[in-house]
Amino acid sequence: MSTTTQNIDTNAAAPVADLRDCGPEGCAIDWLSSKRHATEVDDITAFTQFTLEQGWGDGLPAIPPTEARVREFLAASERYPDEIICTLPPNNAECTVEKIAINAVMAGAQPESMGLLIAALEAMAAPDFELFGQNATTAPVVPLMLVNGPIRDALDIPYRHGCLGGDATSALAIGRAVRLVMRNVAGQVVNVTSQSTFGTPGRVAGILFGEWEERSPWAPLAERRGVHGDAVTVYGTMGTMNILDTTSQTGPEFLEMIGKSLGYPGANGFNTSMPYAEILVAINPVWAQIIHRDVPQLEDVQEQIWRWSSLGADYLTTNHREQLEALGRVIDGRVYLATTPQDVLVACCGGTGGLHATGFHSFGSCLTQTRAIPRSNANKMQTTT
Amino acid sequence: MAIANVLDPTALRADDITTPGPDAGPLAGRTVGIRLDEIWRAWDWVSELWAAEFRAAGAEVVFWRSSQGRTGAEGEKVALALEEFLDRIDIALVGLANCGSCTGWTVHDALAAAVRGLPTTAVCTDNFTELAQNLARRGGHSGLRLHVLPYPLNEQQRGDVDAVARTHLAGVLQTMGASLETLAEAAV
Repeated sequence: MSTTTQNIDTNAAAPVADLRDCGPEGCAIDWLSSKRHATEVDDITAFTQFTLEQGWGDGLPAIPPTEARVREFLAASERYPDEIICTLPPNNAECTVEKIAINAVMAGAQPESMGLLIAALEAMAAPDFELFGQNATTAPVVPLMLVNGPIRDALDIPYRHGCLGGDATSALAIGRAVRLVMRNVAGQVVNVTSQSTFGTPGRVAGILFGEWEERSPWAPLAERRGVHGDAVTVYGTMGTMNILDTTSQTGPEFLEMIGKSLGYPGANGFNTSMPYAEILVAINPVWAQIIHRDVPQLEDVQEQIWRWSSLGADYLTTNHREQLEALGRVIDGRVYLATTPQDVLVACCGGTGGLHATGFHSFGSCLTQTRAIPRSNANKMQTTT
Repeated sequence: MAIANVLDPTALRADDITTPGPDAGPLAGRTVGIRLDEIWRAWDWVSELWAAEFRAAGAEVVFWRSSQGRTGAEGEKVALALEEFLDRIDIALVGLANCGSCTGWTVHDALAAAVRGLPTTAVCTDNFTELAQNLARRGGHSGLRLHVLPYPLNEQQRGDVDAVARTHLAGVLQTMGASLETLAEAAV
């Protein structure tokens, strides 16, 4: 196994394989500015070992980001490689199209995913998303990505049975690409910057899923947030929490069960370090129809979940209650998981077997962001053929 | 076996200030600003005891309690309050870095003070020292002064925390580059 490396002059001219490789206008110069490392590229096992030695890898097999592969990826993106998309904390380094492409190639993501990757990273870099806190915290928080629009099918993003894990889809590599960008560009590295006590499986390949819009009684989540069509919503989640209900028969019963299940004292939304929080609930299409039948207005659905997920202050330990009282968080004897009913986010997805909902507790003060996904020619071709 | 070039996937901020910034010097006649938070009562207790010592030496001490709500309208209020706090002080003592995100915000606020040229010291607990150093480097100021308190701290009773504060008084003054001599003593 060879892990040979040598530094190459980044200014040296490299063969230009394709005129499209540096942007929509084409050019004849090398715009790839990343440092080159010479290493074994045919043996995936050897290259994966190399990524670990370099501190680039996550331990899973990695695709060597050769110049040819990165150029091919960039050609599909129609973006210039030196375009700065955002800066990502805690490294506060510039996240360029080129760096996204390199990490996406390593993850095994398809070039068609570039638009989604850029939109998701732009959303995560928004100051109100508080990635700074998420990437340093002891919590296991990870930004989940919920996709709306036709691009769900173009990229094979799961939104039906097993949408949160277990489905065989190339979209897994998109989630992994975002995680590699977090590692290599944002600098979220365990016990270096990230102090996450336990971490979470979602920090390996991300949490990427779609909304089953065709079965949802509600408008798509992104549309409710002002973005029509292809869009990604990012939400800082503490993980997934299953809610089983084999008993309820009516919408209000399901909502009470969902709400009460979400409200537990150790949720971040009840912590004094988080002055406000949202909550996201994924509801299966079977329950969604029953809830919609009995509670037609989504605002009422949100209000009921919000109300049922609150806790009586006397349920908390004295120390916890006193700290929350001092912060004015106890209202009429209750403490609320989400700040207002509007902070309860609802999405419809999952299999037609019903019986389960999934709660996603928020990290807290990170505010959910939604961005439109620009379509590349590669996407357009895939969805029109 | 085929050797070829692969492209480096990493990025790092290039600029870095490696020096600690100005010493606080004698505290007499100066305004020391202590940044508190809404999480760590132990830091409140340590700060109270240190503030009493600073005041006894002729300093004025003002407190500002930060919120972790750094986003949306709340975030804008906190950012404004931080600026107003920094406007009022000569010396910054910023804590407490005792968890992941609160270490982040402690370092963030300390860097905001340091960039104004204020003598600035961040305070962390032992388990978060490396994180604080790493975040200061990534914030462009690896030389940021950092005083380390023992861990666990917030889990201790008041009397034990007060003992820690007393034990660490000389150390934090040293980190700050500060002294408790009065104006008269300093003039001699």
